Amino acid sequence: MNAASLIPLIAALPIAGFLFTAVAGRRLGRRAWVVPVAVVAIAWAMAMVVVATALSGGFGESGAVVKLWEWIPAGAVRVEAAFFVDNLTASLLIVVTTVGLLVHVYSIGYMAHDEAGYWRFFAYLNLFMFSMLLLVLGDSWLTVFAAWELVGLSSYLLIGFWYRKNSAALASKKAFIVNRVGDVGFALGIMAIFVDTGTLNIRDSIGHLASGGVSLAPCAQGVVSCAASMPIPVWVIALLILAGAMGKSAQFPLHVWLPDAMEGPTPVSALIHAATMVNAGVYLVARANPIFASAPGAMVVVAGIGIFTAILAASIAMTQTDIKRVLAYSTLSQLGYMFAALGVGAWTAAIFHLMAQGFTKGLLFLASGSVIHAVHDGQDMRKMGGLAKKLPHTYRTMLIGSIGMAGIPPLAGFFSKDEILGETFKAGFIWVWAIGVLVAVMTAFYMFRLIGLTFWGESRVDEAVAPKVHESPAVMTVPLWLLAIPAMLLGLLLSWPGPPLGPLFGQKGTGLLASWLEPVYKDGLAILGRGEEAFALFGIDGVLILVSVAVAVIGMVAAWRLFGVEIGSLRRRGNHEQVRELTARVPFLYRASLNKWWFDEINHLLFIVIGGRVAAFAWWFDVNVVDGIVNGIGSVTRRSGSGLARVQTGRVQNYALGIAVGLIVMVGSYALLASR
Amino acid sequence: MNLANTLDAYLVLAGALFCIGAFGFLARRNAISMLMSIELMLNAVNLSIVAFGAFIPGLRTTGSIIALMVIAVAAAEATVGLAIVVAIYRNRKTPLVDEYDAMRR
Repeated sequence: MNAASLIPLIAALPIAGFLFTAVAGRRLGRRAWVVPVAVVAIAWAMAMVVVATALSGGFGESGAVVKLWEWIPAGAVRVEAAFFVDNLTASLLIVVTTVGLLVHVYSIGYMAHDEAGYWRFFAYLNLFMFSMLLLVLGDSWLTVFAAWELVGLSSYLLIGFWYRKNSAALASKKAFIVNRVGDVGFALGIMAIFVDTGTLNIRDSIGHLASGGVSLAPCAQGVVSCAASMPIPVWVIALLILAGAMGKSAQFPLHVWLPDAMEGPTPVSALIHAATMVNAGVYLVARANPIFASAPGAMVVVAGIGIFTAILAASIAMTQTDIKRVLAYSTLSQLGYMFAALGVGAWTAAIFHLMAQGFTKGLLFLASGSVIHAVHDGQDMRKMGGLAKKLPHTYRTMLIGSIGMAGIPPLAGFFSKDEILGETFKAGFIWVWAIGVLVAVMTAFYMFRLIGLTFWGESRVDEAVAPKVHESPAVMTVPLWLLAIPAMLLGLLLSWPGPPLGPLFGQKGTGLLASWLEPVYKDGLAILGRGEEAFALFGIDGVLILVSVAVAVIGMVAAWRLFGVEIGSLRRRGNHEQVRELTARVPFLYRASLNKWWFDEINHLLFIVIGGRVAAFAWWFDVNVVDGIVNGIGSVTRRSGSGLARVQTGRVQNYALGIAVGLIVMVGSYALLASR
Repeated sequence: MNLANTLDAYLVLAGALFCIGAFGFLARRNAISMLMSIELMLNAVNLSIVAFGAFIPGLRTTGSIIALMVIAVAAAEATVGLAIVVAIYRNRKTPLVDEYDAMRR
């Protein structure tokens, strides 16, 4: 069977599962998970077949296109419902379907206490899977935009899953509205693309834009117009697409929704707000790489926003006490890394980090869910501690994830982060690299602060809860271990046999992921004029690797000194006095970090207070001026009407008198005028 | 000025008759009197038409025909008018038009 024919089924299965569960789920009760998990499992298997075919070159260099039908045949606007799989899509499919499947399995256990919402949860999860798969598989901008909105919808539904809780309802609204801000930019970007290229097909339009509009295959074939002039400059399109990507991937200043999104159930945080949906923006920019390559100014903006978000979020993560919020800010920070990589043209590194983070962050969130589960829905790390012995599986997997996040070789997080930092340095963005190194220190620090507060030291769990703390059931711990494997080995696998380890063993060539993605980035790299650089393990590259390992160790040791450590023979108690002393020394930074740099307050001032004043004035203007004019016309008409109504006496002779007078006036004036 | 047997004399007479009729129509409250005033106005107009017919050679036949027509129409109008007045009278028990204000209510 042709692997390409499986592609539509990958997207169709989850939506079928959603429809089935939405209709029949309520009656299934505790068995509602069977169909949703089954369809995702089948979709995963199919996706693996497609991924294997794509990555082994089965679809050729340009990828496979599956046209279903002509969706919008409206004159010049022709949009096809089509799927497209190339190596970039395949790389994302690995993350989306694998993490998706494991989160589905995990949810069977995690959501078991939620009797009433069980079926609803799985229905939403399936809806999300469909939307996300549609997003990566879509072949036209319009399909991607529809999927873009659908993932936003499912994110909204799942953040507000416990809608009786006020904070959850507010968080879901916040996420939805902040995302709309970015989506307006994306929609405008798509319109601009259509204006410039006359097509909504992603591949055609990108090729068209990147080459300046002429001498192109799609143009020569008559697919798109060959007009050399493009009314909207490419950098505008790049920035508009970036706006959409910033909303979905929660980049500054649209980052405020992601930490609040942690109000949703933890599997949702793992799947949507760490591993898949938030990566959509990275995917979008990577997909549009030739557009960004043609607009160097926009690239600098991407890099600047990315690295700023990275350091901002990392600084906040250092002081948060809610376990999920630490992870949320860490997600923001890592997404910032990815954007920084996209901005310097290191697209492979960005996707590498995306995949590594997808698994690592998915693992960390699921593990944190297991911790929350164990201490009976407590998320405050000040009320944890010493959980390592009671939750052995959760502890070990979470430790693996944290070491990876910190950037210690040979875990996945090390390779991807190191590649981003190395590429940034070599591309000449020294300032991005310098901030990135600082962020790496902070990352290692806050991850081990989290581990220290949660698993090591003395137990600070409530007396009432402490005896009931227990490890989660196998349905939850097995997905953790399954995610821990890629979190450990993925980096090694994807970079082999290229740098940084390949040369050490006498291997030559590029890494696996780099060779997969080479055709996707060919155009973009050609525009940037960046060729292959020789990798020098015993030169600049080796130094860069040493630096990133060194800073990771510095951050880690700093966290150990302050919050304790219990690995093997390494034992040390946390020093809370020292923490207090240090925070007292930089009171402003501490308060800024604790209060998330007051972004919620700034937004409140800007949009609620000032925006509210503007709205109040607009309301006043509407009531008094606009309505005043409309109502004024009405009341003038009515009053003059009631005044004139008095002429209507109902007496025949009055009318006759009127006729007679009128006649006399007419005849008289005619006579006067005629006699002149 | 000698007005005897001139067109002007007839027209002055017709004008006078018309004014009397118009005054009667506007001033009298009784529906029957108003109908009679209308007849007066019609006849004034008829008189002027006949006068034109008699004094202007080109209008000789046409004037007579129109006059005859007006007489016929006036008769029909009087019939219909009287019938209406009688019907209203039966309904309202009054011949006075200023009491006929049902349309205004």
